[in-house]
Amino acid sequence: MNPYAKLILTLSLLLGTTITISSNHWMMAWTGLEINTLAIIPLISKSHHPRAIEAAIKYFLVQATASALILFSSMTNAWFTGQWDITQLTNPPSCLLLTTAIAIKLGLTPFHFWFPEVLQGSSLITAMLLSTMMKLPPTTILFLTSHSLNPTLLTIMAITSVALGGWMGLNQTQTRKVLAFSSISHLGWMTIIIIYNPKLTLLAFYLYILITSSIFLTMNTTKTLKLPTLLTSWTKAPMLNTTLMLTLLSLAGLPPLTGFLPKWLIIQELIKQEMTTTAMIISMLSLLGLFFYLRLAYCSTITLPPNPSNKMKQWLTKKPTNTPISILTSLSISLLPLSPMILTIT
Amino acid sequence: MALAATLLHNAYFCGRCCRYKALQPFLGPLLSDPVSKAYSSYRRPGSQPEKKSTWQNVDLSFKKSIEVLKTQLSMLKEETKDHLIGPGGQSLSHYLLEQTRVVWEFRSQEDLNKWIISSDVEIGGKSEVYLKLGRNNQAAMLYGTLNTEVPRDGETKYSGYCSMRAKPLVGSFARKKYYDWSNFNCLYLRVRGDGRPWMVNIYTDPYFSHQKDDLYNYFMFTRGGPYWEEIKIPFSKFFLSSRGRVQDDQHPVWLDKISTLGFTIGDKVNGPFQLEIDFIGLLNDRAHTEEFAYETYEKNPPL
Repeated sequence: MNPYAKLILTLSLLLGTTITISSNHWMMAWTGLEINTLAIIPLISKSHHPRAIEAAIKYFLVQATASALILFSSMTNAWFTGQWDITQLTNPPSCLLLTTAIAIKLGLTPFHFWFPEVLQGSSLITAMLLSTMMKLPPTTILFLTSHSLNPTLLTIMAITSVALGGWMGLNQTQTRKVLAFSSISHLGWMTIIIIYNPKLTLLAFYLYILITSSIFLTMNTTKTLKLPTLLTSWTKAPMLNTTLMLTLLSLAGLPPLTGFLPKWLIIQELIKQEMTTTAMIISMLSLLGLFFYLRLAYCSTITLPPNPSNKMKQWLTKKPTNTPISILTSLSISLLPLSPMILTIT
Repeated sequence: MALAATLLHNAYFCGRCCRYKALQPFLGPLLSDPVSKAYSSYRRPGSQPEKKSTWQNVDLSFKKSIEVLKTQLSMLKEETKDHLIGPGGQSLSHYLLEQTRVVWEFRSQEDLNKWIISSDVEIGGKSEVYLKLGRNNQAAMLYGTLNTEVPRDGETKYSGYCSMRAKPLVGSFARKKYYDWSNFNCLYLRVRGDGRPWMVNIYTDPYFSHQKDDLYNYFMFTRGGPYWEEIKIPFSKFFLSSRGRVQDDQHPVWLDKISTLGFTIGDKVNGPFQLEIDFIGLLNDRAHTEEFAYETYEKNPPL
């Protein structure tokens, strides 16, 4: 892509995110969301493959609908209450509409159908941006309006997201789709606790960004787009595959890795709120996700395939392992002992 | 506003009574007559006359609906069981170690019913195509006659094609399903042709209609001898075309969402043709390392 265009798009992404995060007025929040949507579209369709164009169109339609619903919800609230403050959403129909709109933006069930297809049509780096950075503005709006959201709807969407994310991810053979369903599942965990302890949602979100980014960057280094390629990726970077296994298990939420921390704290908070059944249900549903993370770890590290790679030069990677991957992977694996410090910050 | 409504009202009745008024073409889409077409009543020579509308064919029998519901629920149950077993209904180890897979083979009429044949008759041409089981029910025979005579309708310039296309997979409750061929890199066919060249088409069924004419094609040259031949076509060789026109911007076919496979003959030679197909399968050729056979160049390079 033209470097000037890339620079403008990257700056627009940062601008849109910053505008939304720092806004008090609904119009500014909506503006930031729209800037983000428009800036990511060329990045998704960069390769001009028919599937990439399809992914870009799907992303645009879904996000534009959600943004329109957000605007409609804020306008309805402004009509009844006379003010546009994000934290003062009080009109019940507006609250319901905003909950739905944010669910569409994030990809919560039952508005999740677009997410795996969009991720599958994008490159690995764009998929990483879609899973991490593009979720930051809607999560911020969720955080700011957490007291106004409809709790029943949110809980139902959260539980079904964890369930469907795990169920649909079971038989995926494309790594991007696996990570898409993993994202949907994690969104369920984040959403279930937003009413009771919004800061836990943010903690879960930040740790999710950390672990997912390291996985995407690792897969980008080894150019792993499907499971059979993952089998032979050890030939390109053996140590990276080992750390990939640990990062995947961290994403699954296994102790003593970093990913255990948000799950542990969320379950603890749910039990404090006397929602033990809910905590039990989402914990059991997470086992589905654990199954496919273990499957990815099995393919990448635990087994050796009987066949060699189809690639001409197995040991030559376009991008050697670099500093961001090493930092992100180290943090994704070994941050759990620092949990007392993290808890004081949140 | 009232004037417009009156005009439309009158035009509706005028349209019903006399079809050849001058106002008809302008108000075509506004008239709600189900039999008339939007702008003209011309029917192409090869197309069938319209009989009943789709909604008139609906059978609202309660007993039949119960049967259909039972069938669909049993299909859903099978799909759920397959989902629990692994990718494509097979265990993961089977999927990872798989190197060959037979997708279509022709041993019974049921196998033939999974395919649709068509020719230029639908645009008014005179080619003929038939599909039947071969000797001892061991192969399918696609045969017929190609006729390149152009239909005299004033708008068609070329004619003379016959094709056979697989029906798309349908899941429970009429949901679309797709083939996942991402574990393979070659198409493997056992055929016995008559020396005529065929075109193999892969359709990936895009979500949006503006890409519905996108097709990935490659050629299959048959020998014509009495011996069967096994043709291996790497997926890296397939090129992208749209409505028959090869595109400038080429991309490799993505194999995770394949809808149908088809064979077309259109070599501009009048006469009979015959193609016997034993099976159509997939192969993961470990020695094939090519990712895409065609280089793409910048169309407007900076000076």
